[in-house]
Amino acid sequence: MTDASIPPTPTATPTRSLTERLGNELSFVPVAVGLIALFLFFATQSDVFLTSRNLSNLLVQSTVTGIIALGLVFVLLTGEIDLSVAATSGVASVFMAKLVMDFGLPVPLAILAGVALGGLVGAASARWVTLIGVPSFVVTLGVGLVLNGIQLLLLPRTGRYNLMNSGVDQLAATHVTGPMAWGLVLCAIVLFALVMGSTWRSRQRAGLSASFNAGVLLPVVIVALFLVGVLVFLENQRGLPMPVILFLALLGVMSYIASETRFGTYLYAIGNNAEAARRAGIKVDRIKITAFAIAGCMAAFGGILSASRSLGVSVSSGGGVGGGALLLESIAAAVIGGVSLFGGRGMVVGALFGALIIATVSNGLNLMGVANEARLIVTGLLLVVAVSIDRGIERLARPG
Amino acid sequence: MTQPILSLRGITKHFGGVKALTDVSLDLEPGKVVALVGDNGAGKSTLVKVMSGVHRPDSGTYLFEGREVAASNPAEVADMGVQTVYQDLALCDNLDAVQNLFLGRELTGPWYTGYRVSRAAAEKRAKEVLKRLRLDSISLTRNVGAMSGGQRQNIAIARSILWEPKVVLLDEPTAALSHSAAEQVGDLVRELASHGLAVLVISHDIHHFVLDNTDRIEVLRLGRNAASFNSKDVTGEQVVNAMVGGNEAVNMAG
Ligand SMILES: Nc1ncnc2c1ncn2[C@@H]1O[C@H](COP(=O)(O)OP(=O)(O)OP(=O)(O)O)[C@@H](O)[C@H]1O
Ligand SMILES: [Mg+2]
Repeated sequence: MTDASIPPTPTATPTRSLTERLGNELSFVPVAVGLIALFLFFATQSDVFLTSRNLSNLLVQSTVTGIIALGLVFVLLTGEIDLSVAATSGVASVFMAKLVMDFGLPVPLAILAGVALGGLVGAASARWVTLIGVPSFVVTLGVGLVLNGIQLLLLPRTGRYNLMNSGVDQLAATHVTGPMAWGLVLCAIVLFALVMGSTWRSRQRAGLSASFNAGVLLPVVIVALFLVGVLVFLENQRGLPMPVILFLALLGVMSYIASETRFGTYLYAIGNNAEAARRAGIKVDRIKITAFAIAGCMAAFGGILSASRSLGVSVSSGGGVGGGALLLESIAAAVIGGVSLFGGRGMVVGALFGALIIATVSNGLNLMGVANEARLIVTGLLLVVAVSIDRGIERLARPG
Repeated sequence: MTQPILSLRGITKHFGGVKALTDVSLDLEPGKVVALVGDNGAGKSTLVKVMSGVHRPDSGTYLFEGREVAASNPAEVADMGVQTVYQDLALCDNLDAVQNLFLGRELTGPWYTGYRVSRAAAEKRAKEVLKRLRLDSISLTRNVGAMSGGQRQNIAIARSILWEPKVVLLDEPTAALSHSAAEQVGDLVRELASHGLAVLVISHDIHHFVLDNTDRIEVLRLGRNAASFNSKDVTGEQVVNAMVGGNEAVNMAG
């Protein structure tokens, strides 16, 4: 394991190679490049693809998978997996619908209750995993089936709650336009600039190397271009769809938690070496339970959003029995986005790119008139390619 | 003669029928490097685990700064100022040197930042510590997984002294290292002692590492004190003889 053949170099290079950076803070670059390539390809194949109406659709399509994948990233970082996220999203959305339709609970309260249920389910699974030491994929596989059963029990005889005009539909139907939308985008850019800027300033104050251009200007410009681009493109449609706003906001918060907070650092530490983390005084079980709880909340929220978009919940909410395509695509989104299934590697923003790639493939092939089976084949191949690229980079970044 | 900061008196520890330690005594003084040597299974690691609070001895006393202490769990012993570096180092390969140094003890910002990790402050502090230990060549921003065995060992040792302990215990810090990397660790060990720390180091490399870098050699054999030498006045053969017992001339130098 330790490499005795390399003498300790007195002049170890303080700069890091590109492969090493690609394995860390730039891990999303290959997938971002892939996404752009896909966009260019579909733009040449279909006149409709680059219209704002279609891109608006594409973005909204990616939000449910994306939000579930966001939470899943936390769990994957710790080296665990949650195979019950799709089922959690289904049961939480049905629970929320039941509270609204049968018990007349106000919509915001019902949504909160649904999200809380998701968090509870996640925490309970993780408690079981850490207490008994059963692998998380087994526990959550079982939990997923249990939840599928409960979902059926919660549904009325008709097998469906219709949420049209229930108020829940407003969540997905709302669009933000005009000054409101610009204000939101401006807020996001300013917050991001503040975070990056304060890092730069504190490094400068401490007398450490700090580049304003690379550390602040470039990232802020990229984020600003992306957000303004999205806004301009969607403005002449119906404005910013609420699901997209929520997805991007959650993405920002989750990214901050993962990369800037103590909890985030512990996720990475546990995923790489849980024993080392434990000896460093980190409460490994508690961190894992929190990660699962967050993933459960996100899955539940994704499910509720999905219910709001499709104006109802049914047997097939949450991808149907076993989680179906929703489960596979959520995991695929995280993994395509560069998050390792073996823990400790990847970035939250990968969930955005992964979800966008999956939505783009499905949307683009649809426009080309390609059948559904081809879509599955392409998505599957993309997953394999993405993971292979990821492994390759990881190998290159290792010494020797 | 300096007063010992940590003293063990008559320590006995049995695991079922295995007499790992019997009536062992040991003193560590500030500014001194003590080598703990012995054949495989002699009880060296067990003794270190008693000192670090992992094992409670069946009998015997543990004196720290002249007072008897319970030393019943690792956190308590660490708080007292006794740090241990185990052979497996316990580093996270996907984090860089700064994150590893501060793991579990991150410096954080105010609540409204969500207790954001103060990276700059940590990096500054890490720089100072590494400089003090003459380890400035170690990159602070590369993942430790991409570093050599010697650099990783040095980071693990640097982490143990980050919070200014009084005693550092090192279990086989040179076991997996090349000759030159082991020499670097030797330099580091003497550097620690020159700052007034009491250092205990387990090593099987008698002829080079132990004779060159330590002040005193304590020999354990079959879980008992077998001999104690001044590193200056002893040859490798004498130490090895004491390790294997009797006066048989057994040549263990490989
Ligand atoms: N937790 C334990 N349970 C039972 N027996 C143990 C335990 N730890 C150590 N022993 C036994 O105690 C004896 C001393 O072991 P120890 O690990 O202290 O030896 P050591 O001197 O460190 O050897 P090495 O040079 O191989 O590291 C051995 O016989 C070992 O099998
Ligand atoms: Mg040992």
